[in-house]
Amino acid sequence: MITDKLIYSSLVRGDSNTSLDLLRKTPFPSRKDEQWKYSPLKKLKKLPFINNSGFSVKSISTLNLPKMNGLILVLENGRVNANLSEFHKINGIKLSFLSSSKENDNPIINSKKENYFSLLNSSYLSEGISIEVGSGFRVQENINIINIVSSNDSLINTKLDLILSENSSIHIRQYFLAHGKTTNGFINHNNNFIVQNNAALVLDKFQDLKNNFHISNDFIEQEESSKFISNTFSMSGLLTRNDILNNVNGEQCHSELNGIFTPFKNDHIDNHTTINHYFPNCKSYENYKGIMKENGVGVFNGKVIVHENAQKIEAFQQNNNILLNDEASIYSKPELEIYADDVKCSHGSTTGQFDQESIFYLRARGLTLKKAKELMILGFINEVIQKSENSDYIDFILERVLEN
Amino acid sequence: MKELLVEIKDLECKIGDQEILKGVNLKVNKGEVHAIMGPNGSGKSTLSSVLAGNDNYEITEGSISFLGEDITEMSPEERSWKGMFLAFQYPIEIPGVSNINFLRTALNERNKFFGDDPIPAKDFLKMVAEKSGLVGLDNRLKNRSVNEGFSGGEKKRNEIFQMAMLNPKLSILDETDSGLDIDALKTVANGVNKLKSAENATIVITHYQRLLDYIVPDFVHVLNDGKIIKSGDKNLALELEKKGYDWLTGNTTK
Repeated sequence: MITDKLIYSSLVRGDSNTSLDLLRKTPFPSRKDEQWKYSPLKKLKKLPFINNSGFSVKSISTLNLPKMNGLILVLENGRVNANLSEFHKINGIKLSFLSSSKENDNPIINSKKENYFSLLNSSYLSEGISIEVGSGFRVQENINIINIVSSNDSLINTKLDLILSENSSIHIRQYFLAHGKTTNGFINHNNNFIVQNNAALVLDKFQDLKNNFHISNDFIEQEESSKFISNTFSMSGLLTRNDILNNVNGEQCHSELNGIFTPFKNDHIDNHTTINHYFPNCKSYENYKGIMKENGVGVFNGKVIVHENAQKIEAFQQNNNILLNDEASIYSKPELEIYADDVKCSHGSTTGQFDQESIFYLRARGLTLKKAKELMILGFINEVIQKSENSDYIDFILERVLEN
Repeated sequence: MKELLVEIKDLECKIGDQEILKGVNLKVNKGEVHAIMGPNGSGKSTLSSVLAGNDNYEITEGSISFLGEDITEMSPEERSWKGMFLAFQYPIEIPGVSNINFLRTALNERNKFFGDDPIPAKDFLKMVAEKSGLVGLDNRLKNRSVNEGFSGGEKKRNEIFQMAMLNPKLSILDETDSGLDIDALKTVANGVNKLKSAENATIVITHYQRLLDYIVPDFVHVLNDGKIIKSGDKNLALELEKKGYDWLTGNTTK
């Protein structure tokens, strides 16, 4: 088991005692667990992870990220790399790092999401960021959080706790990256968000961790009339897994989970999502697009649960996939559980290859084979990519998808 | 002296094990309109596909030359850059790609091939406004995804609009009349006629004579069982309309 081999010298205090007790009682998941049926953990389990906190990224420009406005917080190997960060005070935001918090500060959120990896995270936290957005503050600047693994075999446990008070809004961009030739590192991240009445949160996640592991456990609790939009762009990873639990605890909420995943050579990208509709009159939309190439494996398992008394729910879930060659694969499982009787819900999944007639049509109009395929991919992901309204960011994602 | 635009020599092709074209010969000069007619399954659409370079079909014999160059093995995009255009019988829907973006990419790919700069946005939009008027393409269709949710008529108009934008030397219209009501047919034919010049040529592939009332051919060819079995002037089309194909094909079962 991972934890037995860990030597944690720089362990940050958290709620580690309770979590550690729970973690010890939680078995390491295997493919026998329904939740892990399509994603292998054997390699992850066997690796002798270490805790290395050195820095090796020289400048932020070497990461080739899009233009950023607002705060830039860089975590490298689980520690704040202050030289690469751009930090200033923003009106209405209370931001703190766990490593510099006081002994008796309590975490601002207690996650209700408990699985092996979220518990591993809270038991052995490397660093955490807490953000509270004050009531009524509509923050114009973005918060960019760049989470890098740059050292082989390192286990990094990071988290972001975020509370959006009533009537506030903010846009968060997270980047999870493996630097240079780093291999077999593991960024194990927790996102814990509370979106209070009438607040709005947009989360863009970009994940590019070729030859490394990454699991993100996201817990989002929405209160009345709030809005949550999550856009997840997963480019690569030996295992990149997003596990989103979105609890909608109030009426008139809007929830959106969008994603593009592009597992190519030796990549395995897994999106697990659960939306719980506990209250009536809410809408949720889920749209994931997968493009699989070479021996890349994609997984989509989306679940929408409409609980009893949650009437007048509109929930739409869609997963479309393209397999670019014969070795690529996708496991797609859209699920709906409905316990209310007056709802409008749909779910669907499609998987196919490029349509040769379409390619011929484009070529007959003068597009090269390469351009024709690019345009087809563009068309395929367009609907999802337009959800990020910033053109620099859209161009960045497009470029990354097309260069794969 | 008429200048030869395209020459098809002894063309044979198959898809899988099935032979479809069994020796087609055709010469088209600049400034001419040729109609190719024939019963279902005679190979009309295959001929247009093969001319445009669809590699689903395997060419087993013969050759195609275009402006003196052998293009038998040439990619569809290069044929397009050199001035060939196929208006599809069933135009393909490309969700998520706007008509305008697609056309601009197409024009710029061609410019790139000839070493020219990309077309400036202003010139491009001016061209779009001018050419879409030619076929009465609804303004809002220009920004919609390519053919997605278009009616049959709108799709065909869109094909001719694209043809106008690309300004080809040889236009092949594959059953452009299918799915068109009489008004749409007139508009589309009108668009095609306006694009006609002494420098280009048109091959019209059709089942029925109706379209040829509006796009008047200089030559009419009858394709049957993968071969051209009869050629004539526009009167041949009228004769076919009256008598059907059986008197030519020797098929008396109908």
